[in-house]
Amino acid sequence: MPDTFHEQIRTALDNPTLQMALDGNAERRLKALNQAFATLPENREALRQRAHAVRAHTIAHLDHYLDQFIANAQANGLIVHQAVNAQEAVGIVLQIARGAHSKVVAKSKSMVSEEIHLNHALEAAGFNPVETDLGEYIIQLRGEPPAHIITPAVHLTRTQVGKTFAEKLDIPFTEDIPTLTATARKVLRRTFLEAGLGLSGVNFGVAETGTLTLVTNEGNGRMCTTLPPLHVALMGIERLVPTLDDLALMLYLLPRSATGQKLSVYTSLIHSPRRPGELDGPDERHLVLVDNGRRAMRQSPLMEGLYCIRCGACLNACPVFREIGGHAYQAVDGRITPYPGPIGSVVSPGLFGVPEFGHLARASSLCGACKEACPVDIDLPKLLLRVRAAGADLEGYKKTSGLSTQDKAGTQPSVKLRSHVPLGMRLSLRGFAWIASSPALFSMAQRLAGFFSRIISPRSEWLRLPRFTGWGYSKDFPRPTTRPFHERFATLAAVPSANEYRAIPAQPTGQFEPAAETKPVSHEALVDRFCEELTVLGGAARRCTVNELAGGLLEDLNDLGITALQAWDEEHFPAGLIPALRLGGILVQATPDPTLRAGLTGALAGIAETGTLVLPGGGGRPQTASLLPEIHFAVLRQTDLVQTLVEALRLPGLRDFPTIVLVSGPSRTADIEMTLTIGVHGPRELRVFIV
Amino acid sequence: MSTTIQLFVTCIIDMLYPEVGEAVVKVLQRAGVTVEFPAGQTCCGQPAFNAGMRAQARPIAMHTIRVFEKTQGHVIVPSGSCAAMIRHGYPELFAEDEEWLPRARLLAERTFELTEYLVDQLGVTDLGARFPGKLTYHASCHLLRDLGVNSQPRALLSGVREAELVELPYTTECCGFGGVFSVEHPEISTAMLERKIANIEASEAPLVVSCDGGCITNINGGLRRQGKPQRAVHIAEILAQADNER
Repeated sequence: MPDTFHEQIRTALDNPTLQMALDGNAERRLKALNQAFATLPENREALRQRAHAVRAHTIAHLDHYLDQFIANAQANGLIVHQAVNAQEAVGIVLQIARGAHSKVVAKSKSMVSEEIHLNHALEAAGFNPVETDLGEYIIQLRGEPPAHIITPAVHLTRTQVGKTFAEKLDIPFTEDIPTLTATARKVLRRTFLEAGLGLSGVNFGVAETGTLTLVTNEGNGRMCTTLPPLHVALMGIERLVPTLDDLALMLYLLPRSATGQKLSVYTSLIHSPRRPGELDGPDERHLVLVDNGRRAMRQSPLMEGLYCIRCGACLNACPVFREIGGHAYQAVDGRITPYPGPIGSVVSPGLFGVPEFGHLARASSLCGACKEACPVDIDLPKLLLRVRAAGADLEGYKKTSGLSTQDKAGTQPSVKLRSHVPLGMRLSLRGFAWIASSPALFSMAQRLAGFFSRIISPRSEWLRLPRFTGWGYSKDFPRPTTRPFHERFATLAAVPSANEYRAIPAQPTGQFEPAAETKPVSHEALVDRFCEELTVLGGAARRCTVNELAGGLLEDLNDLGITALQAWDEEHFPAGLIPALRLGGILVQATPDPTLRAGLTGALAGIAETGTLVLPGGGGRPQTASLLPEIHFAVLRQTDLVQTLVEALRLPGLRDFPTIVLVSGPSRTADIEMTLTIGVHGPRELRVFIV
Repeated sequence: MSTTIQLFVTCIIDMLYPEVGEAVVKVLQRAGVTVEFPAGQTCCGQPAFNAGMRAQARPIAMHTIRVFEKTQGHVIVPSGSCAAMIRHGYPELFAEDEEWLPRARLLAERTFELTEYLVDQLGVTDLGARFPGKLTYHASCHLLRDLGVNSQPRALLSGVREAELVELPYTTECCGFGGVFSVEHPEISTAMLERKIANIEASEAPLVVSCDGGCITNINGGLRRQGKPQRAVHIAEILAQADNER
């Protein structure tokens, strides 16, 4: 066991701020997750099993779906690259970045970029990569790696964030979370507008349509993929689903498991770069598919680890993560893995080498809370045990499996192939295995234990073992008996069957409930549900007739003192709306302008169960109208409402839009102390007129 | 015609808690079952398996399989993690062994944890037990998540006369035992145990009932070291307290 790992554990346990933050994270996240799952139309367990089956099928036929995905993405106009390892991936990104007009790289969250250490490489090549997810931005300012795959700054308090901002951004110190968030919005807005390259990850690639799916709350993901002239998406080759229906299933599970939301604020479906005549979107979109150990892992006993959809639920459920936090998950040489927690203790050794990261799997009580929390039912305890088996016998394992035993960068193994089982434990268990395979020896060992424990502790029935044993660190041990049960059994008097006992029919232990039927619902009920959900998300809904629409909008605009807005082309609204606004003195333009305070869009559809707007891009529908302004007005026809996400993703012709974004409420973050703050990068207000 | 079962008492109970083993026999007999105790049984091999030392776990598992192959009927294990080891660990351990995999599966299929057997197989939730006092229940991890057993021990405890069963806050949180984990990572194990002990105190019950010898050793070890009055007991010790005993 590397000493640095133990040191990290002790440091984490002795850090009261971290302990408080981690306790808060665990409790709030699990509560939110349970509440969110309670809102599912279907039984959670049934959904998990379906999701597991989809992921298992995809990974089993990875090359098939990868080929299909690449072909479709190329047909959509994406430039697709494939990288075998981190070095290649970095090389590809640098090559693309050199063609950008500016050195500023706006980055939205990407775990793959952490995995390949992209920021370092970009900086070394003279670029200025800026993390734009609030949590990532905070830790980038502090020069730290993420401490959690979903909430990277989970380990920090508002005071720490305030100090960092005061130091690095030259603002007066404040602990006020909305002020801190607004500061980040202001600073990063400049980044988005200046950046020559936008970098993003990919949550899911859809094979049948070549769709890149990106899920964010703050709006930074949309900024990075809409504003800079170049967009590069980094994606692990395993992050695929076959169909849009499968995507809907995953989107039922991912936000609920990650943040307790029914749907994240922004779910972007990206197909193609800007087309001729369009007002926004990048000129080029590149997709970099990264292997970096995934194909080898797929051939190994850890394959199931590739089913992961990176929701972080297992981290939040893990009692060990709750004690030590993400930064404690270090390689033998002290490198921090981007993938901590239960899944990280499988994926890190699986991708980057068992010799370097296998010991992480030993820091688990195998309690199974991770498996229970996993939305795709990955058998994490089983995989952790497999990592341990590999780590206990590295030489043997190297010969018999495809598991990596050397660094994927192609360097020589950085550590000696030595068993991860501590020497004392290794010797004891070898002895124990020998003894426990022989009843005579076992019985004799028990006698000796009973005898010697009485010499050590003649009076007390408890033993105080020395600290180095591990057990003695904080616990006493019961004194072994001198008359084990196997010697007593023969002498036990038979107890008569209790004739008065009553047999009560056992309660059913199964937890399956039938899936709820999807009943046809009236438009009226859909509108009610949509309004209710949108209100919960912090948006506002107003019903009106087509004739009342212009008046209502003008009233709002006048109240807000707004005289100009960015809007979709006239044809996307009820006839006469835009002329009426113009007549009312409003300057209406389609061209993006960061100084405009309001944006006006239509909607392709609305999803009642989540209060979501489906906003396509292209064809006179600038995405920036729902992104750059502070206030987003949307006009939704009530006949365009559907009940579920599945129905929305089945709408005909979705693939023909260059991008589609599903908007669920105003932009939000909970990256500082998990306190919900509205309005980060996207609009602070969302007002929907339902006609 | 009475049913005969084979008791796998587990090494922890054999060596540390023989009186729990006696209580288990009593409970099974009261449920009308004939208890046999196959000689030569030792340990299920879980410590070596959990440490990753599969080469060392296999001979122990083979030994256990051989011992019970000579017998007939259900194999009853009064410990969730040992039952889970046989049911799920053995097939994993012998996944690539053509000779031993079917033998491991045969044993896995006839192995049941004690409360699971009483409730699901025998349909018993009331054994005529009587225990005056407050009890709380710790849901052991392997029992709960690996075997899916939760309602069964709770139903059995609800059937105990005069016992007041109170809910342990965060009962499904691990107590920090985890076998070899507790000695390899004592710092984390301790932090987890402290949370468990705080919850036991919050429940205000003097006794916390568990169905796993590992959890009991861990929880009691911490309670004892900290000088706390509460204790963890095995469910069989409660269920064996019958009012027609002399």
